[in-house]
Amino acid sequence: MNAAAQNGELNRNGANEIYHKGGSTKRKFQESFEPTPLYAAIVTYVNYAVVTLFGFLRDFLRKHGFEKLYAATEDPEMKDFVPLYASFESFYTRNIYNRIQDIFNRPICSVPGATINIVERKFSHSGWTSKYTGKTLKNVVNLGSYNYLGFAENEGTCSEAAIESAKKYGVGVCSSRQEMGNLDIHTKLEQTMADYLGVEACITFGMGYATNSTNIPCLVNKGCLILSDGLNHASLVLGCRLSRATIRVFKHNDMEDLERKLSDGVVYGQPRTQRPWKKILIIVEGVYSMEGSIVNLPGVLALKKKYKAYLYLDEAHSIGALGDHGRGVTEYFGIHASEVDIMMGTFTKSFGAAGGYIAGNRALVEHLRAHSHSACYATSMSPPVCQQILTSLSIISGTEEGRNRIKQLAKSCKIFRQGLKKLGFIVYGNDDSPVVPVLFYSPCKLGAFSREMLKRGFAVVGVGFPATPIVESRVRFCMSAALTDKQIQDALSACSDLSSLLNLNYSKAK
Amino acid sequence: MHTGTTNQVANPNTVVWNSPGIWITYLLTTGFMHLILLSMPWFTTSVSWTLTNVLHGVCMYFFLHTIKGTPFETSDQGKYRYSTHWEQIDSGTQFTAARKFFMTTPIVLYILASFYSMYDFTHFVVNTLVLLLSLLPKLPQLHGVRIFGINKY
Repeated sequence: MNAAAQNGELNRNGANEIYHKGGSTKRKFQESFEPTPLYAAIVTYVNYAVVTLFGFLRDFLRKHGFEKLYAATEDPEMKDFVPLYASFESFYTRNIYNRIQDIFNRPICSVPGATINIVERKFSHSGWTSKYTGKTLKNVVNLGSYNYLGFAENEGTCSEAAIESAKKYGVGVCSSRQEMGNLDIHTKLEQTMADYLGVEACITFGMGYATNSTNIPCLVNKGCLILSDGLNHASLVLGCRLSRATIRVFKHNDMEDLERKLSDGVVYGQPRTQRPWKKILIIVEGVYSMEGSIVNLPGVLALKKKYKAYLYLDEAHSIGALGDHGRGVTEYFGIHASEVDIMMGTFTKSFGAAGGYIAGNRALVEHLRAHSHSACYATSMSPPVCQQILTSLSIISGTEEGRNRIKQLAKSCKIFRQGLKKLGFIVYGNDDSPVVPVLFYSPCKLGAFSREMLKRGFAVVGVGFPATPIVESRVRFCMSAALTDKQIQDALSACSDLSSLLNLNYSKAK
Repeated sequence: MHTGTTNQVANPNTVVWNSPGIWITYLLTTGFMHLILLSMPWFTTSVSWTLTNVLHGVCMYFFLHTIKGTPFETSDQGKYRYSTHWEQIDSGTQFTAARKFFMTTPIVLYILASFYSMYDFTHFVVNTLVLLLSLLPKLPQLHGVRIFGINKY
C-alpha cells in the first residue's frame, strides 16, 4: 500500500490492491482513487476564480445600489450596532451556489423509492427567487436515495405492519428509555438485531447521528486516545470532540499511517506527562459515502490486535448492503462479528427506517443503557419505526425475497460501476460499494450534468465545494435493489450521451 | 451552503492551497495577465513588467491580507472570522510549502521586473515598495498583528 498522499489526509494513487492473509476468505481488497488530471484541475480553478471575481464585482454593485439586493439585510435603525451577520460568510451562497441551486434541494412529492415525482421549480433570472410551475415530473428514476435494499415503499408487508403497530402503540411515548419510553417492541428489536449481527446484545436509539454523538462520550473521555479516519462523518467527529479525548487523524484507509500513529501513541503516551493512554479507540466507517470506499477491515483488525486498541465500526452505509446475507462489512470480509469491539450502524439506509444501534458484548451494552446521554434524555424510537425495522429485518434474514434483494443490489453495483468505467468516467472507491461517486471536478459540469439528467428522467445528487475538496466536485450515485436492470441500462446510456456532450471521460485507465 | 455535514476539515480555506494543480494554475494566471499587459502597444516592456509586479502585489495584498473570514459558513464556530486568508493557510502553521510558495513568487517577479526594467530608478522604487507590501505581511512575526488597528474587525 504505497500511497503518494497529495491532498492532505486522502490516499491518492492509481489502484490500491493488497491480498490480506487474515480472515477466512482471501478476498482481494481493491480500491482506486485515480489522481486528478491536471487539465481538469486547472479548468476548475479558473472556473472558481472567474465566478469569484464576478462575485466581488456583483457584491460591489449591490452594496452601492447599482444592482438590487434581494438578500435579507439588517434593520437600518441598527446601523450603529455591531452587525449580526458577516455578509462575506454568505459570499459563496450568493454568488456561486445560487447559480446552480436548482440542482440541490429538489422538492419531491412521492415516496423516495426507485422512482420519484419531483415538483418542478423555475428560478428567476437573478437566481434569488423560485416559483413552482405547477407541473410535477413523474416517475423520475431515483439515483440519489440511500435506498440500498429498496425498502422505501409505501405499500407491502413493511408498511402494513408499521401501520398496525401505529394503531397498537401510537406514534410514540415522548419519554426516554430510562423513564417511561421503554416498550416491549424495543426489547424485541434489540434482541432481533443482536441475533442478526451475531453479537451478545444491542441497544437502539431514535436517531443515527445522535447515536454517534451521544455515545462516543460515554465510551472514552479525557486521557484516552482516538484514532479517527480522515473521512469520518461529522457525527463521529462531533462525538469525538464532545468526549474531550485526544483525537489524532490518520489518512483515509492508510494502514501504514494508522500503524505509525498507534505505535507513537503506545510508545510516547500522553503529551506532557508521558503516562500511558487510558484507552486507544480506532474509529472507522464500513462504507464511506463520499468516496465510495470500504474500510480495510482485516488490516485494521491486525493492527488493533497488535497494539491492543479498541475498534469502533460505524456501519451506517454497509449494514444490509454488503455481505451475502447483508450483515455488513464483517460478513463481506469473512470476519466474525465478535472481533469488532463496538459495532454501530443506522437503520436509515438499508432498512427504510430511522435510528441507530450499537452492538457488542453484554457489558458494553449494559453500560450504554445506564450511562448513555441518549438513553437518559432522548425520546425512544417510535414504535412504527421499530416495526418497520423488524419487518424488513425478517425479510432480509429469512426470506427468498430478502436474498433476491441483496443479490440484485450486488449485481447492480457491479454493472453500474463497470459501465461507468467503460465510458471513461473517473469513479472513486471500491468496486463492491453501493455508493458510486463519479468525479466531475468543475462545478459548471456538475450543474450541467444534473440538469441534463433530469431532462432525461434521472434524478442524481451532485456534491460540490465546500462539502468536498475544492477540485473534486462529484455526482454520487446510490445503487438500489429496487432499480430494475432496464433502469440501470437507461441510466448508463444517458451518462454515455452526456459524457460525450460534456467531455467527462477523464479516465486514463484501460 | 455550509460545510456542516460531510467535510474533512472544518475550514476548507486552510487546505485549499495544497490542492493538486493550484500552484500551476496560479502561475499560469499570473503569466496570462502579464501577456495581456505585454500585448498592449502603449506599454513599454519595462512598464508592463513593473505593472505585472504591481498588479500581482496589490491583488495579493487584497485577497490574502485584507479580506477576513471565509466565504462560506464553517463548523468551527467562527474561529477564523477575524483572520485573513494568509493567517488561515494550514491553520496558522508557519513555514509550510504553500507559504513558501507565496513568499517566493513576489521575489521572483521582483527580480524579473528589475531585470526587464533595466534597473531604472523609478521602476526600482515602485517594485521595491510593492515587494515590501507583498512580503512584510507574510512574516511570521506579523502573524495576527494589526498595525494601528487597521483591519482588526
